[in-house]
Amino acid sequence: MKQQLGKLGLREYISIAILMVGAKATEDTPIHLFSKVQNASWMIPILSAGIFFIPLFLLLKTMTLFQDKDLFSVIQKLLGKYLGFMVCLLIFLISSYAISFDTRSYANIIRTFYFTTTPNLIIYALLMVVCTYGARKGIQHIGSVAYLVIYLSVFSLWFALVLCTQKSTFQAIFPIWGPGKLEILKQSSQKLTLFADFFLFTMLIPFLTSIKQYKKGTWFAFVYVSLQISVAILIYICLFDVGMDGLAYPFHTAIRFISIGSFLPNVEIIFFVTWLMSAFIRFTAFLYLNSLMFGHLFKIKDFEYVIPSLATIYLLIGSIPEAAVNASTEFKALSLNISGPAFAAISIILWLAALLKGEFKREKNRNSM
Amino acid sequence: MKKRIVKTLFKKFNTEPQFQEQSNTKDIERKKQDISSNYDQNIQTFKSMFSVPKNTDIKVREFTIRALNRRAFIIFISTMVDVQRIQESIVEPLLENELTTGKIRDIVSFPIESTATIIGEITEFITGGMTALFIDGDNQCHLFETTNIPGRSIEKSDNEVIVKGAKEAFNERVIDNIALLRKKIKNENLIVESQVISKRSRNDVFLVYQKDLANDELLQTIIDKLTSLDTDRILDLSILEQYLEERPWSLFPTILYTERPDRAASFIEEGHIVILMSNSPSCLILPATFWSLMHSPEDHYLRVPYGNFIRLLRLLAFIVAVFSSSFYIAITNYHVGMIPPDLLMAFAGTRERVPFPSIIEIFMMELAFELIREAGLRVPSPIGPTIGIVGALILGQAAVQANIISPIVIIVIALSGLSSFIISDLSMNFAVRITRLLLILSAGFLGVYGLTAFCMAILFYLVSIKSFGTPYFAPMTPHFFSSKDLIVRHLPIKERFRPGYLKPKDMVKQRKE
Repeated sequence: MKQQLGKLGLREYISIAILMVGAKATEDTPIHLFSKVQNASWMIPILSAGIFFIPLFLLLKTMTLFQDKDLFSVIQKLLGKYLGFMVCLLIFLISSYAISFDTRSYANIIRTFYFTTTPNLIIYALLMVVCTYGARKGIQHIGSVAYLVIYLSVFSLWFALVLCTQKSTFQAIFPIWGPGKLEILKQSSQKLTLFADFFLFTMLIPFLTSIKQYKKGTWFAFVYVSLQISVAILIYICLFDVGMDGLAYPFHTAIRFISIGSFLPNVEIIFFVTWLMSAFIRFTAFLYLNSLMFGHLFKIKDFEYVIPSLATIYLLIGSIPEAAVNASTEFKALSLNISGPAFAAISIILWLAALLKGEFKREKNRNSM
Repeated sequence: MKKRIVKTLFKKFNTEPQFQEQSNTKDIERKKQDISSNYDQNIQTFKSMFSVPKNTDIKVREFTIRALNRRAFIIFISTMVDVQRIQESIVEPLLENELTTGKIRDIVSFPIESTATIIGEITEFITGGMTALFIDGDNQCHLFETTNIPGRSIEKSDNEVIVKGAKEAFNERVIDNIALLRKKIKNENLIVESQVISKRSRNDVFLVYQKDLANDELLQTIIDKLTSLDTDRILDLSILEQYLEERPWSLFPTILYTERPDRAASFIEEGHIVILMSNSPSCLILPATFWSLMHSPEDHYLRVPYGNFIRLLRLLAFIVAVFSSSFYIAITNYHVGMIPPDLLMAFAGTRERVPFPSIIEIFMMELAFELIREAGLRVPSPIGPTIGIVGALILGQAAVQANIISPIVIIVIALSGLSSFIISDLSMNFAVRITRLLLILSAGFLGVYGLTAFCMAILFYLVSIKSFGTPYFAPMTPHFFSSKDLIVRHLPIKERFRPGYLKPKDMVKQRKE
């Protein structure tokens, strides 16, 4: 029954990366940014991309030393058996925490905007069931589906953003530095979490044809996604101005504002569908990554079988917060502030370990030989 | 692990029933033997094997060959041979020739002649329409290919109609079918390999491919699969299709079934493998992708803009056929705000006096539409037009007037029904119709969210389907090198590559100068 799986193609990988990270512009992340730095929050994605570039660059450099090895193997090789295991476990726990409350916040969005009378559990469970089914199919197939929906999803996002500009005022971005330059810098170093997924993507290196391909895809997606999130937030600010503070999910409020001509006043369903598609891809890939990590941690070869159990656990953890507000402001804010800096620190530690162990020199010698 | 336990339990409780069967080991043993040189023994053997006086169309004719002055008999099935030719070119020369060369080949004027000695083999040839000649004292049997099986002549394609391009279709005679392919591909590398696949009926299939294109590994998998079939009969290609498929329960087809030789030829030229079978007016093309099931040969016969126009039209029809009813359910039940107010008023006005919920309405009409469709197909052609009138009149007009169905539902169903006819592949057509019903249920369950969730699940399923190792959406994703003949097609001059997922031996159709 087990089918021979091929490699993950470059375009499939880029699609997953864009859908997974780019989706952050369409949930409650912009609000978390806005609450701290107000109308300068559109700068945060670009600045934190700039900051995250350094650890990511170092991480990829370290990963290149170990051709076609995934993140966890490299960590265990560089940091030793016990310390390595602890670090891997930490990464797994952080990302498990993140997926639990990210999925919950998506279920909340669906409920608050479109299915106000449906029990949250039903919406949440359906989300997890589909993601589980997809994740069981393997990363190659997730990539294929991601590639099939990426054009539609990206196009409709930009279309919605363009429609938003009709009703927005550009002056809303002033004062341009918002609460002050120092605060922006502080926040952008804290909100590295925007790009934390790129750290996790290094788990996928063995699935790609070569690390060169992987790097190419990563940098492309990295640049594109930081621009996309930044532009999206800029447009929300222009559309809502200070009103952003009272919103929970700006993208969904925005698509309620817009209309195509005067005949179609409410087009949010069209954008809702494409947004949902990318949401499914996002959590399917995230779930797969988590189970990949789990399998690696506890030496489970056929880790696909643990996906349903993991999904159930995440569903239960995600159901802990009673209200949608709690999930977003308390639980999710924590992961938003922690995971990015933590992953960046781990990347730098890995690079340092490799440097101190002389792996780079060894590589040079190997090349010169 | 769990699966294994369930399987063993299942086996325990579901044992093969025991029957009182008659053993035929004696027959099987006899078939393995050689024929003897004794005339009487031979005639005895074959008469008993073919139950001669009882089996009316088995003819045995005894005579003396004048040239050799020996007794001989021929045996053939009169309904499957050309009796006139046997008389003229086999029996008459044998009776009248006086030369004493001693060689049958020199006496008989029949063009194709071969010899065999094993009883089983000879029996197979005779049942295939050959004439066997046994001579007293000779320990081998002479076989003449006198087959003449009645059948249809080559006719126009009925099920895959196109306006521009070749019209002829395969028929039930496999010899004709092979000839149709041969006349399109005049190349010595076109191989027609035959293989017997079933034990009792001994149906044979023909694998047709280009030796210098088709991937050997793919060919070997198909041949292995064919040899591994352990069954007593496979009467038709469409049954063989079900034996070959990886997932026989899947809603979506993974083998392309066509009755058009031009289509088969174009696939052979790309490195695909075609399976023909006697008595089946069609061929199987493997492997098949989603795109090949969606395309029609006419896309390529028409000029590029027109071909792309109908291709986009077909894509639109596919989307409409799959989603229109379920989208209607989702919008009217869950997302009423999306409809512009004027339109909403119109909808509500027509639904005012209809007592059913809209999902029941849609299901009733879907069922009615499927009934009309099936009835129209099965009804004898003289009364065919009546069905259309009755269907249109009763279901359209009367149902609306009786306030059972709202007119808007009729529009939705008619639109999706009409669109589903545009997908010409029969299996794909069924897949679309059944998927539509499932989507209606999911839309009724949770509106657009349910619909999208179910669609994503279907997409995940579809990308994981494989047809003989080829992913369903190849070469789009996963990416393979190809001439990009997917959603739109390009100029024939630009289509320079064979599809990469087949790993053909020769990738480039025409090299750049």
